[in-house]
Amino acid sequence: MPYAHLLFLAVAWQLQAADEVSYRKQIQPLVMARCEGCHRSGPVNLSTYEGLRKAAPLLTAAVSGSPPRMPKAGAPLLAEEVTLIRNWVAAGAKNDGPGELWWSLRPLPSSSKGTIDKFIAAELGGLKPSPQADRRVLIRRLTFDLHGLPPTFEEVEAFARDADPQAYENLVDRLLASPRYGERWARHWLDIAHYGDSHGYDKDKPRANAWPYRDWVIAALNNDKPYKRFVDEQIAGDILFPEDPQALTATGFLAAGPWDFVGHQELKEGSTDKNNTRLLDRDDIVATVMSSFTSMTVHCARCHDHKFDPIPQEDYYKLQAVFAGVDRADRPFDDDPLVYTERRALLEERREVQLRLQPLLDKVEFATSPEIVTLTDRIQDASLLITHMGTPRTPAEAEEKAKLQARQTADRAAKQKLVDALVGEQTYADMKRVQAEAKLVDDKFAALPKPRAVYAAAAYFPRAGTFRPSLEPRPVHILNRGSVTSPGKLVAPGSLRALPGLSSTFQADTEGGRRAALAQWITDKQNVLTWRSIVNRVWHHHFGSGIADSPNDFGRMGTAPSHPELLDWLAVWFRDEAGGSLKQLHRLIVSSATYRQSSANREDAAQIDANNRLLWRMNRSRLDAESTRDAVLAATGKLDFTMGGPSVRMFFFKDDHSPVYDYARFDPETPGANRRSVYRFTVRSVPDPFMDRLDCPDPSVITPKRNTTLTAVQALVMLNDPFVIRVAGDLAAKAPTVREAVRRIWLRDPTAQEEQRFTQYANKHGHANLCRLLLNTNEFLFVD
Amino acid sequence: MNRRQFLFTHGGGLGGIALAHLMQAQPAPQAKAKRVVQLFMSGAASQCDTFDYKPLLIQKANEKWDPGEKVELFQSNPGVVMPCPWEWKQYGNCGKWVSGLFPHTAQRVDDMAFVHSVMAKSNVHGPATFMQNTGFILPGFPSAGAWVSYALGSMNENLPVFVVLPDPRGMPPNGPSNWSNGFLPATHQAMVIQPSSDTPIHDLHPPASAKHITAASERDGLELLRETNRAHLAQRDGDSRLEARIASYEMAARLQLSAPEVMDVSKESEATKKLYGLDREITADLGRRCLIARRLLERGVRFVQIWSGADNGFPRRNWDSHEHLAKDHGELGTALDQPVAALLEDLKARGLFDETIVHWTTEFGRMPCSQGSKGRDHNPLGFTQWLAGGGIRGGVSYGATDEWSYKAIEKPLYCYDIHATILHLLGVDHHRLTYRNNGIDRRLTDVHGQVIQDLIA
Repeated sequence: MPYAHLLFLAVAWQLQAADEVSYRKQIQPLVMARCEGCHRSGPVNLSTYEGLRKAAPLLTAAVSGSPPRMPKAGAPLLAEEVTLIRNWVAAGAKNDGPGELWWSLRPLPSSSKGTIDKFIAAELGGLKPSPQADRRVLIRRLTFDLHGLPPTFEEVEAFARDADPQAYENLVDRLLASPRYGERWARHWLDIAHYGDSHGYDKDKPRANAWPYRDWVIAALNNDKPYKRFVDEQIAGDILFPEDPQALTATGFLAAGPWDFVGHQELKEGSTDKNNTRLLDRDDIVATVMSSFTSMTVHCARCHDHKFDPIPQEDYYKLQAVFAGVDRADRPFDDDPLVYTERRALLEERREVQLRLQPLLDKVEFATSPEIVTLTDRIQDASLLITHMGTPRTPAEAEEKAKLQARQTADRAAKQKLVDALVGEQTYADMKRVQAEAKLVDDKFAALPKPRAVYAAAAYFPRAGTFRPSLEPRPVHILNRGSVTSPGKLVAPGSLRALPGLSSTFQADTEGGRRAALAQWITDKQNVLTWRSIVNRVWHHHFGSGIADSPNDFGRMGTAPSHPELLDWLAVWFRDEAGGSLKQLHRLIVSSATYRQSSANREDAAQIDANNRLLWRMNRSRLDAESTRDAVLAATGKLDFTMGGPSVRMFFFKDDHSPVYDYARFDPETPGANRRSVYRFTVRSVPDPFMDRLDCPDPSVITPKRNTTLTAVQALVMLNDPFVIRVAGDLAAKAPTVREAVRRIWLRDPTAQEEQRFTQYANKHGHANLCRLLLNTNEFLFVD
Repeated sequence: MNRRQFLFTHGGGLGGIALAHLMQAQPAPQAKAKRVVQLFMSGAASQCDTFDYKPLLIQKANEKWDPGEKVELFQSNPGVVMPCPWEWKQYGNCGKWVSGLFPHTAQRVDDMAFVHSVMAKSNVHGPATFMQNTGFILPGFPSAGAWVSYALGSMNENLPVFVVLPDPRGMPPNGPSNWSNGFLPATHQAMVIQPSSDTPIHDLHPPASAKHITAASERDGLELLRETNRAHLAQRDGDSRLEARIASYEMAARLQLSAPEVMDVSKESEATKKLYGLDREITADLGRRCLIARRLLERGVRFVQIWSGADNGFPRRNWDSHEHLAKDHGELGTALDQPVAALLEDLKARGLFDETIVHWTTEFGRMPCSQGSKGRDHNPLGFTQWLAGGGIRGGVSYGATDEWSYKAIEKPLYCYDIHATILHLLGVDHHRLTYRNNGIDRRLTDVHGQVIQDLIA
């Protein structure tokens, strides 16, 4: 049949022809992603159908040819995409309706009616929901979910017997009112902020003042700060709420991620590596902000236009420009709002003086001539050799060291002379004058009470090494292929253009004004991403998977929502009815019959929906690392509920060129050793091996969803880690009978058979060994 | 329909990605190797004092160095041309020039493939060390060993897939995050073995102070735990995670038996111990770690990483020889040379060499000019790595730096190509080894990487 394939081709051609290209579904999204970035005004405006139709005759030619003239940024269009455009133009460039927006960008319904259970039932089809779980299961599930802790045996018993028809609702209210709630849910938020207590990279220095931000998150959740305010403060609290010192600590969010100490503090100003360090530091801030609040992967557009979502490179750099005036550094603040106000005014004054002082200092710092360079090299050479020598071991070495030091002193003096001659007296005179002004301000600072500090986004801070504030926002250019050596067009601060109804260019020049504008853009009622993002995130933590199961990616590479109407309804309800109250959102979700279902498997349903995307049952979950550690401590009654303050260093620490963090040498009697895991000092370079094995994420990774693995080394840490063995011993002393131990760990009485087996074992090998084994059981580590 | 269009039409999603991958018609490469041992010179080992021979440095010794352009250095300004402190000689049938720092390793040049044109994207230890390990200059990405674990899994379920043997003097820059599993599941975490420590493997056994835990209590206890977990499972059928967790305790018990056995080199022959230099103080530590590496590889561990050098502190304990290269490179090189040569020879003698890739690497190189009077500053523009074994063509020198060994000028490349080549030899297409994180299908090779065919036998 030699003609068979021809026949096939002919059929395929006809299908193609019959299958008319859709403006709404195909052309508009393509143009939005690849063309509109540049062509949104002027003679060629592709942002409207009318504009596109007028440009249609030119369009095909512009995108075909080799190389094609358009698009200028990113890869050429694919052959298939060019064909789409050609066919659409050839068929008359018809408009079959307004461009179809991606689900996450569509407007939210103005109002809608429903309940969670109705939306879930609507998708279940023929499947029946599962019956409600029994009360013992419910209280354990709810307490772990809202507190990250188990209830006590007594609480379980009381709830199981509670005759009040409102017993469940009362339990929910009690749990949400407890400060344990904020500690638990702050941990989820800190995962996406990728909060850590050290900088990361080489020379991983402790970050002593990160914790006020962690405390801010816990307090914000416990006080049920409305979500709009929760977001505003983390991006621009210092600007939008200048009277409130706590709003400044919220901007610790922007600084929560890793920071390259060597890159910032040791590299020379103006070097390629320095510029790259800054670029990547800003990239981390932009990625964190946009992933956390809008669930968009803006960071994919650093080197080229986003390949899948309508985010041109320009939008990404507009977001970099928002943060172009800040670095990560300690910022002083005062609990007394009056002192704080005074300090803010002084800081602004000091920044203004520094703005005049810095160019004069730079004249000295960057003064150069061949002679100066030679001397600088000799001075450095001496430093290197002296450091390398360490403490001299022989008289000859001592003599050599003294010689080097003498030479260095002489070289320094000679260099100073050369620099002075080059810089000139006038500069020094000017410098002296401005420095006197600076001192006046500094003296006023000294007169204020000693401030506290938070590691946050900072526009002004004292210089350390080569790390110094920009004082004014640095210019931001679009970087060709993301390279600092190929700067293109200068951009103004702004955000994504893909959101209908929101302006993507900010009328803001000042550093603070830029951040305030972004905060307001994100929390605008019309920013549909923001409201969808947060309700999906909360849902994810309650059920173990989101309605859209990619909480940080609502783009085309993410997962489409399983229940889109439910997601939209929740977003509108949360924004309008609940006024952004997260506690009300939790209450709504955990009160649903969907949440209260049993987690038991059902063969009939599993055959249709094994992954339970339709939620015909509740998901069973394994405790995460923090809940495991906290639950182990809770079982002994030794859990220390002290809240807030500096993070607890659960390791041996020695400061050095690269500081040493050694978990094996930790003394468990250290005060605070039994506090909740959210107060652990998290070291980026050296994870706590116990937590690490239990899937605690690397704090340098933005983690919207944790992995859960089951490995042999995990079994080993649960069996052998000194922490577990110590706590099992404590537990044995506290609960000396099998019955008492089982009650504390499983929250129930043992069966007769269990009691007999366990007693037999404990009699033979000791009660501490039994307690250790019970802490290793699946019943302890899984939540039904 | 291409991959991208497929994703557009079907709205992406994991199923979509997996399917899209299947739709790529290219077959997976044929695996030539099964395992990797990587030797990491922490602190940046010099190319022009080891394997990248440049007579010009000898001819122009102590003259002003002028490469004809402005040089941007990490710490210093360029000093004078500084020749290698060791004498160069030619070795093997291939006639490879090797410096006197590595006389033992030099005997094996006909098995080794040198890549002289490697570049790094950062001139700073932290980011550059991340790059060689993970392909990114940022923290938070999985290391090559974790990727290999994710790609290929285990060949011996009594041992981990990925093992790291750090320098006993301390952790390299970035600490253990160099061998992080990043966003990959914890299943792909490295197991750290510190043979000279009192507890070589963390939590492998209960602490010695826990006297109440005995062999008998463990035997009965694990049986009781299994029984209890089975009873719990019986009421919760259909949850494979509960079963997997029961199985994990059985694997842990096997690991407790096999790990001490693999670390115990006492039963190795005297000749073997001598070969690795266990009888000399300077080579004893690396010798032991190289020998343990061979024992791990022999038993089916996929990826072993051995570190030479700790952090960049003082007194110098890694290859970061800013001050006194002859002394610091001298000591580290001597400690390394015989054990590495022994590893190559021993792998060969045991028939493991052809299936094992040996990869010698470092974060960047060093400048041909002096820093101060006796040291060298960082050079990310051209440095040397070498590969051997598992499908690698021996006696090859690939790429080249300029006459100074300052810049890669012939076939310049980044670690992406080396990672791509290693994966290729393991039978993995680096384009297809992906994991979705925060909206991006991440790869060890980022958006780069080409298999270097010239290195393949």
